[in-house]
Order: sequence, then C-alpha cells, then structure tokens
Amino acid sequence: MSTNQENLKVLAENLVAYGRRQGASEIEVTVVETSRFNVNVREQNVERLTEAGTKDLGMRVFVDGKLATAGSQDLAETTLHRIVDNAIARARLGGTDPFAGLPELEPIQVSADELKVYDQAILKLSPENKIAAAMKVESIGLADTRIKKSIGSTFISVVGSWHLANSKGFSGSFRRTTVICGVGFQAGEGDNLLQDGWFEGSTSAAGLPAPEAIARKAVERVTRLIGARKVESQNVPVVFEPSVTSDLLLGFLAQCVAGASIDRRQSFLLDKLGQKIGSDLVTIYDDGLLPGGRGTAAFDAEGVPTRKTLVLDQGVLKSYLLNTYYGRKLKMASTGNAGGVNNFYMAKGASKPADIIKSVDKGLLLTGTIGFGRVPTTGDISTGAFGLWIEKGEVAFPVAEITISGNLSDVLKGVEMVGDDLELNDTIAGPTVKVAQMSIGGKGAAKS
Amino acid sequence: MGKIERREFLKLAGTGAGAFIATGLFHDRLLAGALPAAGAGLFDEKFGVSKEVMAKLLEAALSKGGDFSDLFFEYKVIMTVVMEDDIIRQSSENVVRGVGIRVLKDKQTGFGYTSSLTPESMTQAALTAAAIAASGARVRPPDFKESRPDKQVYLLEKPFVDAPLDDRITLVKEAYAAALAHDKRVVKVIANLADEMQYVTIVNSEGLMISDARPQVRLGVTATAQEGKVRNTGNGSAGGRVGITYFQRPGTTPKDVGLRAAQEAVTLLSAIDPVAGDQPVVLGSRQSGVMIHEAVGHPFEGEGIWQKTSIVWDRLGQMVASPCVTIYEDATLPYLRGSMNIDDEGTSTRKVMMIENGKLVGFLHDLLSARVLGVEPNGHGRRESYRVVPICRMNNTMLARGEATPEDVIKTVKKGFYALTYQGGQVEDTGKFTFSVNMGYLIEDGQLTQPIKNATLIGTNVQVLKDIELIGNDMDYFLGTCGKDGQSAPVSAGTPTFKIRQMTVGGRA
Repeated sequence: MSTNQENLKVLAENLVAYGRRQGASEIEVTVVETSRFNVNVREQNVERLTEAGTKDLGMRVFVDGKLATAGSQDLAETTLHRIVDNAIARARLGGTDPFAGLPELEPIQVSADELKVYDQAILKLSPENKIAAAMKVESIGLADTRIKKSIGSTFISVVGSWHLANSKGFSGSFRRTTVICGVGFQAGEGDNLLQDGWFEGSTSAAGLPAPEAIARKAVERVTRLIGARKVESQNVPVVFEPSVTSDLLLGFLAQCVAGASIDRRQSFLLDKLGQKIGSDLVTIYDDGLLPGGRGTAAFDAEGVPTRKTLVLDQGVLKSYLLNTYYGRKLKMASTGNAGGVNNFYMAKGASKPADIIKSVDKGLLLTGTIGFGRVPTTGDISTGAFGLWIEKGEVAFPVAEITISGNLSDVLKGVEMVGDDLELNDTIAGPTVKVAQMSIGGKGAAKS
Repeated sequence: MGKIERREFLKLAGTGAGAFIATGLFHDRLLAGALPAAGAGLFDEKFGVSKEVMAKLLEAALSKGGDFSDLFFEYKVIMTVVMEDDIIRQSSENVVRGVGIRVLKDKQTGFGYTSSLTPESMTQAALTAAAIAASGARVRPPDFKESRPDKQVYLLEKPFVDAPLDDRITLVKEAYAAALAHDKRVVKVIANLADEMQYVTIVNSEGLMISDARPQVRLGVTATAQEGKVRNTGNGSAGGRVGITYFQRPGTTPKDVGLRAAQEAVTLLSAIDPVAGDQPVVLGSRQSGVMIHEAVGHPFEGEGIWQKTSIVWDRLGQMVASPCVTIYEDATLPYLRGSMNIDDEGTSTRKVMMIENGKLVGFLHDLLSARVLGVEPNGHGRRESYRVVPICRMNNTMLARGEATPEDVIKTVKKGFYALTYQGGQVEDTGKFTFSVNMGYLIEDGQLTQPIKNATLIGTNVQVLKDIELIGNDMDYFLGTCGKDGQSAPVSAGTPTFKIRQMTVGGRA
C-alpha cells in the first residue's frame, strides 16, 4: 500500500477513535479515492476530455441504537470533527431501532491477489492510447454506409480504492480498476430513425474486447433495426437477448430480492423463501468473490466479507440479498450485500442461441427496452420495447414502438430455454432466455 | 456488456429513502443564512479563494490556447430525515464542495475538477483542462465585472438551511401519520424529507463573476396497501425551491402529501391491467408534464441540434404540432423545482418559446451550443455538480393552457385511457418515447371508471405533437429528477389536462 493509501486508512481509523471519544456507541468511516479519465469522441473529433482525482468520506454513527449518517468531500480535520459532532447530536434526536448497529467483526479470508480486480496495465494506459481506442471504435462504424450518424464513442478508465474502519475493530482496504469502451449510432430514414450501440467493460486491460469487436456489435445492433415497424397486439413467446435478460429479468429481480424491499413489503417475493418461483432452468447467484468481476470486492459497504450466494436454485428461491440491518430484521445473516448486488448472474444453460430462435414459430426476439414500468411490489412489467420478429424459426423483420408487458413471476416460471452464451462482463449478467409468453402492445384498436 | 445509454429519462415515483447518503442537525453554521455577496465573496471569505487566485486559474486554464474558460465553485449541504417503522430511522448530512474548471477550444471541451481548494490542486485541475488546446498562446487575465442575479425566484422565507432538525422531524411525522391513518389497509409507510442549499460562484475568462444561493426541498411519502394477497404502492410528494412556510399552504401540507400516497396505494388495490392497443388518451394535469418534458423538451436541447442527432434539428419555423399547442421553458416561474435565477454558466434565465401555435420557434441553449450555432445562450446550461461539465438542460417545461374544463376534455372520449400518475418516462434522440403510468383510469362514455395499473404509453414525438387535440384550462406541476448523460437535475413541468387523439397503450393483448 502506498503512503497515500496508508494515510487514508489512518484517517478513517483516527476518525473512528474521535467519534468514540465524543460519545458515539458505534461508528463506521469509509474513505473512497477515485481517479478517473474520460474521453468522448464524436464524428472523429475529441469532443470532451476529463481527468480528475477525488476523495470522498462517508460515515455512520450510532448512539444507543439511533442512526445518523454523514458525508463530506472536504477532508480537513476541523470539518470532519464538526460533521462527527453533528451526527452524534442528530442521532440522539432519532428513534431507537433495535436492529440498528454495526456488523460483528468477521475476518477477511481472501487476499487481494485472488480477486484479480486491480490491473497495473490499466494504470499504464496512456491518454493517447485511450483516445485512439475511442476514435477507432467510432471510425469503424462510420465506415459502414448504413450508419447515418454517430451519437458518440467513449473510453473511460477508473482506479478506485476503498478504506473502511469501524469501532468493532474492522479496518480494511481494497482497490479496483475498470476500463469501459463503447459507441452508439443512428441509422434509418426520415422520421423512422433507429439508434442503438454497444459498450464493454472490464477490470483488466486485457479483458476489454478490441475496438473492432465493440464497433461490429454496435453496428450490427443498430442496422438490424432499419425499417422497424409495429406489429399487432398479441400474446407470443419472447426470447430475451443477454442484455435484456440482465436488465429486465435480473436487474428487476435484484430489486425484488433486496432485503429492504422484503422488509418494506414492496416485493412480490415476500414470504416466498424456499418456494418454487421459477422454472427448473433458472439458477441465479450473487458472487462477490468472482475473480476479475466488475462488482468483486473483498468486503461489502459495511465491512462484511463478500461471498457466493445461491439466490435461485433450479427455480427455488433460496436466499434474499441482505445487509446486516435487514438481516437482523428478517432474522437472517447478512449475505455481504450492503452495497447492493456484487456480481449477480444467471447460470448458463445448454441451448445454443440460434437453436432458441429456431424453436419459435411466431414470436419476438427482444433486443432492448425503453422506460421504467417495473413494480417490485407486484412484479408487474410494462415497458416500451424493440427487437426482431421471428416467424417459423427465422428472423423475419425488425419491430419498434411496441410495448411488452407481463409479470416477473410469470416470466421466471415461463423460462423454457436458457442459452449457453453467458458472459460475466458486468455486475449483472445473464444468457439468452426464452419465455413462454408475454403480451405485446402495438397496432390495432384495443379489444375489449 | 450492454446497450449504450444515450437516452434521457425522468423519475417521479419513490421517496428516495435510503438513496441519500448524508445530513445534519445543524446546517453548517458557517454559512447559515448567509447569501453570498456579489462575486467571489463567499469562496474568498470561507475558503480563501480570492479574485486574484481565480484570475490566475483562468490564466493557467487558457495557457495552452483555449478560447474560453470558466470556473464553477460549489458548496452544498444536503440533509435528509427518514421515518419508517414508526421511528425517525435515519438522518443524514452531506457536504459537497469543490471547483470544476472547463476550457473550450472550438467545439472541444477540456475539463478538470477538484474537491481540494488549495492553489496547487486547483492549478493542476486548470492545467488538465487546458490540455484540450495545444497552441500555447499567452492570455491576459480578465478584469472581473461582478454582478448579481437580476431576479429572485426562490422562496427564502424561513429556509430549511436555518431550521433545527426538530422542524424537519415534525414535517416528516405529520406526513407519515396521515398516510398510515388514512385506511387500515395501509400496511407500510416511508416518509422522507430531503433539503439542500447550494451556493455557487461562477467566473469566466470574459470577466463574468456571479453568485447564487439555491434552496431545494422535497417531502416524499411512499405507502403500501394490502388486501388479501394484493399489494400496491402509491407515492406523494411536495416541494420546490422553497422554505418551511410552503408546507403550511393548502394542498402542500405534510398531511396532503401523506394522503395522496395512501389514496393511490388503496385505489390501486382494485386496479386492473389495461387492454393493449391504440386508443384515445387523456393526460391528467397532475404529472403529465412528463410527456412534454420527454416528447418536446429533450429533442429541443442544444447538443442534439448542433450535433444534428435530434429528430427536429432542421425544423425551425415549421409546423410540428397541432395549432392548439404552445410549449415554452420558464426557469423564472417562482419556487418550482426547476426554477433558477441564473443557470450554471452564469447566464440569466428567461422564458424561451419552443412551439407557438404549433410552429417550432426556438431551442434551448447553453454557452457551447449557442457558440457553435451562433445564437444567444438562453440560460439552459446546467450541471449536477462541479464534477461534471454543464450540458443543455430543461428547468420548468410548460404546455400553455387551453379553454376547455378538465371534465369537458374527458367527456369527449367514449372509450379510452386516462393517465393520472407516472413512474417516469424515457426518450431517445430519435424521438421515440415511453411513459410508465403508475395509476390511470378507464374512460367509458366520458366518465372515469375502472382504475388501471401497469400501463405504458409509447409513441414518437413527431406524431404525438400532431395528435394533441384538446387542451384544458387547469394547470399542475410535478417534482421530477431528470437524467441525461449520467447527470441528474431537478426539474418541473406543467400541463393542463389534455387529450391525445390516439396513442399506443401497452398492457394485456
């Protein structure tokens, strides 16, 4: 650990000691140091170049089961002491919550090297190299005559270090690097413009796909939508592309299995632990220890060691995702998810994506959604959608300006095929999935 | 990994309880009540950044040959109080402080920022931003002309920044109690108050030096109701750029906010999914500003115009909407969530006409889009914080009133859909948008009948503007948070009740 890193660790530890002296029953201090580089390119010009380093501090203070939190970007000792004093005074005005408090001390078993989320090669990337990658990912796309316009490309590198100390004696640090490269394009004619794109991210420089691969994927995603039209309202089987599985199925499910949603009765999965809520094909994990994972960390946002949690086992709901507070409320142990999901993914299945499409006589290959329309309390889904229409096992034509609706409970139970195309390249990831039936809203007057 | 996000969205629902990190019993007394003096006074007195230092930073920023540079100094304290499980479960205080330094060279932007206000750190940030240019020209530091905002659109009577925590707790408790007491089927309530005071000083290489002190508050309640196995969640909120007295006004008392959330949750218990398909749609006034914000506002923002990615970039002077439609932006309307005296580049805000009687007459500009297009900036450069560059944003987007009563608008529909509250909306540069309706009603023979949940409205802005058929004489505003390019900004939009000839409603097929 560098001197600077050691200083931040000591800063956190000293502030914990100060808080205890001032009357906090318990106190936790987190310091995050981030350095970020970001280049935006559009039409082959560097449009924006940003570079900066920041330090942010956050704390939780408990006084007899009463919680106050605070944060500051000003790390001067006088400011930090004042903020601790304020927090202690504020906590006293709150209500006693029998479940509030720090986690019990648990040793971190894993070494930073095993996690493989800090890559020196990312630190060594020169600004010129990063700019060149952003230029290239765009130029390849612009060379395709079907592309009408670029909506810009980007290359981002982030180096972050976390230091957490608390009054139970925990003091830990870890570092993570990230690189992201992506591009978006418009295609189409007149009022019927389409846009889409692609980006990739990795914790290692070598793990980031080449600009050529990213550009090809972005071009393919937008050009396949050219000439998109509406279809009639109807109920059909729907195939989710991996990015849709991540967003519409897993992203929404992550909200519904969060301890806060369960405790607040704002989840359709309340009281469903141990029950069969999905098809046999659905197995889902959260793994904070996944080597090289975008969400991998030695400990979570309150210093609890992360772990691999089986959330859905062949359709059976095995675990919620919990921090210490909601764990205590629900009479369960923390799952190391104080910061939300770590690496939340659906296990891959046995089917080739091409075979999944072939199995559909008439249906939708859903390639993207627009809008919100996800209600954890009920599991209801209703959102704007676009994709490719499938007829007799073949992609027939692109569709846009339709809606898709259903319920996550029915989606999970209706999973009929799971692809073998899982790529663990984001904090939430899933393979291609076929769902038995969802409702499409489109052309034609509403039938009553 | 994923699709690229070049979409703008707007969130309305939810209290945000738990989403905030921070807050305080006593606001930083250092600044309480102190409106910054004209110019650099605040940052000079409190953080030791003198005018001389600011001038030197601009000099460093332009040392590589940039055309223009500005410094955005920000000091902000955000406080929250959360009530849940019948107790004040959490309070927080968050201090944001730093400077963002930007350099423009033609259409290019160089940017650096730092939370450390020492001359060394700030100079480093200035030199980082400077690197976008590479000619190395010498520039003279500007002579600052200190000025003050030419208006005051915030309600600064009894600002929260001066209030003790007890006052905040009282408001939250009242809202919580009202929601819980409304109906025995209400099983869960979360009430959240978030207030902030943001002090900014903006200086630039053309000699501008101006400051502003901006309050912002939002009281939000989420209520969940249950009957048998059916459970639903409703939301209520009130606030704006106001102080404590705002919550004593009829319609925006804590009790009103709690009741709205509870009533929505209870009504949703009997709601059903809509039948999918094209149908006439009436948008109620309460939150339908989301439609104007998404369908009109975003495509009219300057970047999409000069970059020619917006569907309307070449339609100035053309009829783009039905003749009954007049839409404008007005940050100068007092006390709304999007109201501002000056924008985040120091430009005085003003009313900007966008569509007048169906004709496209204007776009929204920040300094960059105005420079590129050779027009006047009109006060729409906004930034989430000193850590990001200003981009072209809306403030308060308005659909002008018509003459029909809301009841008469609904009466014209034999069978259709009425949208009351939303979870949010999203739009692409291509003009394709989606709105997620939290609660609506079926319209049958000109009357609101069955409550509807889980509905989505979709369309394209070029079509929906032509399909606006009838506009009511009422007006209401929402409290929204708009997301764009990864930055969030508080906004409002106001609409009367209005009717769209036909829209696609998503639901059961």
